[in-house]
Amino acid sequence: MSHNIPDRVKRRVEDILSRYPRREAALLPVLSALQEERGFLSHSDEEWAADTLGIPPAKVREVVTFYSLFRRKPAGRHHLQVCTNVSCALNGADGLLSHLRKKLGIAEGETSADGRFSLSSVECLGHCDEAPCLMVNDEHYGRLDRRALDELLEKLE
Amino acid sequence: MVSLVINGQRISAAPGTTILEAAREAGIEIPHLCYHPAFPPVGTCRLCAVEIEGLPKLEPACSTNVKEGMVVRTESPRVVEARRNVLELLLAEHAMDCPICDKAGECRLQDTYQAYSLAPGVYAEDKTRRGKKIALGGGLLLDRERCVLCTRCVRFLESVTKTSELGVFERGDRSEIGCVEGRLVDNNYSGCLAEICPVGAITDSDFRFKTRAWFLEARETICPLCGRGCAVFLESHPGFPRVPGTAKAYRVRSRRDERVNGHWICNVGRYGYGYLEKSRCRELAGPLAKTLNLKAATDVVAPLAAELRALKYKGRQTRVAVVLSDWLTNEELFLAGAVFRRDLEIGRCHLVGPRDGSPDGMLLTAERSPNRAGAKALGFNTEETTLEALARDTDLLIVFGPFLQDRFRPADIASAWAGVKTKVLFTPRDEGLGAAFDLVVPTVWPAEKDGSFTNCQGLIRSFSPALAPPPSAVPEWRLLTALGRAVGLNPSFYIPFRSAGDVRRAMP
Ligand code: SF4
Ligand code: FES
Repeated sequence: MSHNIPDRVKRRVEDILSRYPRREAALLPVLSALQEERGFLSHSDEEWAADTLGIPPAKVREVVTFYSLFRRKPAGRHHLQVCTNVSCALNGADGLLSHLRKKLGIAEGETSADGRFSLSSVECLGHCDEAPCLMVNDEHYGRLDRRALDELLEKLE
Repeated sequence: MVSLVINGQRISAAPGTTILEAAREAGIEIPHLCYHPAFPPVGTCRLCAVEIEGLPKLEPACSTNVKEGMVVRTESPRVVEARRNVLELLLAEHAMDCPICDKAGECRLQDTYQAYSLAPGVYAEDKTRRGKKIALGGGLLLDRERCVLCTRCVRFLESVTKTSELGVFERGDRSEIGCVEGRLVDNNYSGCLAEICPVGAITDSDFRFKTRAWFLEARETICPLCGRGCAVFLESHPGFPRVPGTAKAYRVRSRRDERVNGHWICNVGRYGYGYLEKSRCRELAGPLAKTLNLKAATDVVAPLAAELRALKYKGRQTRVAVVLSDWLTNEELFLAGAVFRRDLEIGRCHLVGPRDGSPDGMLLTAERSPNRAGAKALGFNTEETTLEALARDTDLLIVFGPFLQDRFRPADIASAWAGVKTKVLFTPRDEGLGAAFDLVVPTVWPAEKDGSFTNCQGLIRSFSPALAPPPSAVPEWRLLTALGRAVGLNPSFYIPFRSAGDVRRAMP
C-alpha cells in the first residue's frame, strides 16, 4: 500500500516518538497528528501508523473506532459532537440533538450538503458541570439550550 | 498448597490457581464463556461469578485466585440468580437462531441457559440487526448477532498465531469483531477459531450445515498427517438411515495434550480428513485374486506365505523386495521386521512414505508421516530408493501403503516392474497404482486401527480405532501376524498376538 504522508507529518511523528519509551505507546498522538493533516484517518493512514509503530493493523483499527474523536471519513468544516452521556442526557441532550438534526437536515454520522456541518453524538466530554455540552472541532461549549445553540451556529461559517 | 472449601467440599490447590481451575480439578464445573485455559483470564462475561464468604459482592471465579481458608459457593441461590441475570443480558442481543446454528448442542451459552435459566426474554425492544455472514478468511464466517464479545478469537490470534487479524472495533453496545479490509484471517491454525468460539458466532464452512453436533460420535485418535501426531477427536456419524459400518468422518477437532499440541491443531490435520474416503480401496482386486480364487483379504495370507517359504528354502530370498511405510504403526513395523527380516532374512526392506512438505514453525513438521521416528528406531532404512533398485533380480515384490505414487508415476512403476513375476500391494487407497500389481489387498488407515506411533519428539503414544473401516479391509498388523504364523519359520512367536496391544507388550 502506498502511503501519502507529507514530510511535515513524518517529522512531527518522529518528534512524538522521541518522547515515548515504546513506539506503540505513541499511537494516540500519532493518530491525532495524522488526522489533523486531512481531517480524517484513511485506511492508508491506519496502515502507515501500524507499520511505523509496529502494531498489527487490527489493533490500530480498534483504537481508531473506539474513540469518537477519530473520524474515518471527511467531516464538514464544523464537526458538532454532542454529548449524550448521563449528565447531559439528564439536562436535555436529546432535545439538543433532535433540534440539530432538524435544523441541519442531517443525522448523526452525516455531513450537510454544503460541507459546513457534521453531526455526531459522543460519550462524556468531561464537562458534566456544564451539561448539556458539545464540542465543535476542538472547542468546547457548555450550558447550552436551543437559543444558545442557534446563536452558536450563526457564528460558524 | 492452599486449602479451601468449595460447595462444602474441602479442596487443596496450588497457590496462584484460580477458583475456576481449582473447582474444575475437584470435579466442580463453573459455567463460563470468556475463560479459556490457554489464555490469561480477562473476566469480561461475568458468567463465572461465585460467592465467597466474607466478601460483599460476587467475584469472577476465572480471575480470582484461591486463598487459604476461602469458603466458596458456586451454586447458592445468590449465585444462580446472578447467573440468570448475566444470561438475560447476554441473550438480550443474541440472535437465538439455535435451530439453524451449527453450534447448537455444543454451545456454552445454550448449555448454560438450559441448565440455569430457561427464562423468556424480558425486553420489549427489538434486537439490533447485525451482519450474519461476514467472511473472515480461511473459510470462516462470522455472525455478529450471535457473538458474545468474549474476545477468545482475538486473544487466540494475538497470543497463539501472533497474527492478530481480528480485533474488537467500535465500543459499547456497538462493539463488533472484525478484520481490516484486505487482511483476512490467514494462518495455518485458523480452524481453531470455530472451535474456541464458545457460541456459533464463528462457523467453519467445512462443517457448516452438514450435520448436527448431537449426531456425531467423537472418538480419540492421533492425527497421522505429520510427524507431530497431534491428539485429536475424529467425529463421525453413520448418516440416515443409520447403516452399521458406514460411519463417515465429519470433523476433526483438537484434543488437549500438553506434551504435544496443547489445545491446538493445524489446518492440515483439521481439514485433511478427506483422505479417509478418497479413492478408498474397498475390495480385494488384481488378476491373481481371480486366478487363485481369493475372496477375502485374509485369503491372501496362505498363498503368499507358501511363496515366501518356497523362496526361502531355495535360498532365493534375495529375489524378494519389500516396501513398507512410515504410516505403519510401531507394532506393524515390528511385525514386518520379524517376518521379513528375521524369519525370512530378506535384505531389501525399504521405507516409502509421502513426500516432505514445509514445516510451519509451530506444530506441523516437514515429514508428512506419523511414524518416521518409530521406523528409524526399529532400524528401517528411510533413505530414498529407485524403482530400478526394487525391480533388479526380483521375483516377488510386496508393497505396503499407497505412497509409491507420491514419488513415482503409475505408468513408470508399471514399466519399470514389468519383469517382476509377482507384485502384491497392501493399501487403503488406490489411485491407479494398483493397476501395476497382481494383487491389491484393502487395508485400513491409522484412524481405523489399534497401534502406536512415535512422534517427532520421541513420544510413543497408542490409540484405538476411531472409525470403522470398510467391511473387507483388514489392519496390517493382523495380516502380518497371520503371515508370520503361516510362513511357519517361527510360528509360536506370533501365536500370542491377538491384538496390537499384545504385540506392543512383546516389543523391546
Ligand atoms: S466471535 Fe465468538 S470467540 Fe469471538 S468474541 Fe464473538 S463469541 Fe467470542
Ligand atoms: S469466565 Fe469469568 S468472567 Fe468470563
